[in-house]
Amino acid sequence: MAYIKTHFFSTALCFGTDINIFIPTPDADELLTGKKNDYFVPGVKYQVLYLLHGAYGDYTDWLHLTSIERYAQDHKIAVIMPSAANSFYQNMNYGSDYLTYICEELPKFCEANFPISPRREDTFVAGLSMGGYGALKVALERPDKFSCAVSLSGAIDLENVIGGLAGMPGSPFVPQDIFGDKEIAGSDADIFALIRKLQAEGRELPKVYMAIGTEDFLYEANQSARQKFAALGVDVTYEEGPGIHNWIFWDAYIQHALNWLPLKNAPL
Amino acid sequence: MAHLDVSFFSSALRKNAEITVILPSVSADDYLFIEDHPDYYNPETKFQTLYLLHGSYGDFMDWGLLTSIYRYAQENCVAVVMPSGENSSYLTMRHGEDYLRYISEELPAYCTTLFPLSTKREDTFIAGLSMGGYGAFRAALEHPEKYAAVASLSGNLDKAEQKSVGNHVNKMPLNYRRATMGDELSIKGTDDDLRVLLKKRVNAGAELPAMYHTIGDEDFLRADGENFLAYAKELGVEIEYHVHPGVHNWIFWDRYIQDVLAWLPLKKDMVR
Repeated sequence: MAYIKTHFFSTALCFGTDINIFIPTPDADELLTGKKNDYFVPGVKYQVLYLLHGAYGDYTDWLHLTSIERYAQDHKIAVIMPSAANSFYQNMNYGSDYLTYICEELPKFCEANFPISPRREDTFVAGLSMGGYGALKVALERPDKFSCAVSLSGAIDLENVIGGLAGMPGSPFVPQDIFGDKEIAGSDADIFALIRKLQAEGRELPKVYMAIGTEDFLYEANQSARQKFAALGVDVTYEEGPGIHNWIFWDAYIQHALNWLPLKNAPL
Repeated sequence: MAHLDVSFFSSALRKNAEITVILPSVSADDYLFIEDHPDYYNPETKFQTLYLLHGSYGDFMDWGLLTSIYRYAQENCVAVVMPSGENSSYLTMRHGEDYLRYISEELPAYCTTLFPLSTKREDTFIAGLSMGGYGAFRAALEHPEKYAAVASLSGNLDKAEQKSVGNHVNKMPLNYRRATMGDELSIKGTDDDLRVLLKKRVNAGAELPAMYHTIGDEDFLRADGENFLAYAKELGVEIEYHVHPGVHNWIFWDRYIQDVLAWLPLKKDMVR
């Protein structure tokens, strides 16, 4: 496994930003146990998972608080973890263009500089909480780029949760700064409006996986999201289990998500 | 430029290794001042590459922290790979790790697979300071088919003879020196003796990389280096040589790595 901490200047953000990246390469365990380890050869490409953090988080969260490196090595998938502040992965009304950064610049930068497949069928996005919403937003913004989206404890039904999230003590969200004056419902920040638009255009939707803890404060909002997906005829894989809005749940369910994704479990 | 701190398992070293990699990319200056900034992110783009070695007591962070190599790399559109070689002189330790294989075989193969680096000899260079100057020559003469040019800054090129190094050598713990060179504490007559290796390559008619050596006029390694250059000349090998005012320190290396970059056959552009 190569762990690569990358710092570069983002033209979308107009400041330097950090990314944590895992690329599976032969490791000590494979050497010791005689597992197949001759896969890292010139021209190798990997399937890739863009993995998004939640509110208050950054590019280090998934690395520090889960065992994603081990799962990536087991599944032979590259993992890319960017930072997007508390932006809800939007081009902010007051703030920075995080959507453009994640959707456009980041894949371009990573596909040029690391051995990852640029093909839709090999490109996935996942995230937790704000990043669970973000994964869907990003995938629906670029359905030509991402074939699957994973939401863990996601704030998917944004129109119904943003008020509550913004009103929590210590909330980092000022909806007007992020979304401007627009109503969420029906806007391009509305996951279900984006789906309706893509459906009307006859576009192929990304496949969706969602998971939520039964004790999570977003549990009810995930049920309403699930109903909205069903009403639109969108095929969603849904899982729930005991748990709250924390890293124990995300460390467990990112493994479920990796089993759900169409992974080759080998370099391409 | 993009700064990459990379950690990975090295099969040559049988342990984890850290490297820093600089990749040219769109900089704030490019964004601000260049209308059509270069297409760094074209999937076909490759970069010329300089492997840059630290000296004794140093590691992979030295060049980045103590010089402006990031700026020079971006200006010259060259990727820079900075590994760690402990105090091994980048050779196959008699008791310990195989840094020669790591630097001259595993690292280029690993980096050209992981990053958009040219695999061509004409685009591949190696340089270093002090112990790393020796290490750069050691690697380049081990695999002259891989490197188009090698440069030593204040390098300990005559390590096997080592006449002027004086008391410095005793600062290195004896058990480490025994691990590196064996109980006899000598590499004389082996392939780690650059005189022996250079002669071997010359006799075999190998295509040698272009060679460069620069040192401060007051550097304690100056005489040793000149002895090696004289020996090379006897073999008919020309090594470009520059003496400048200075001693064995980072002021010298920060200043003259820029001369090394000017000397290298850099295209100052992406390659395909």
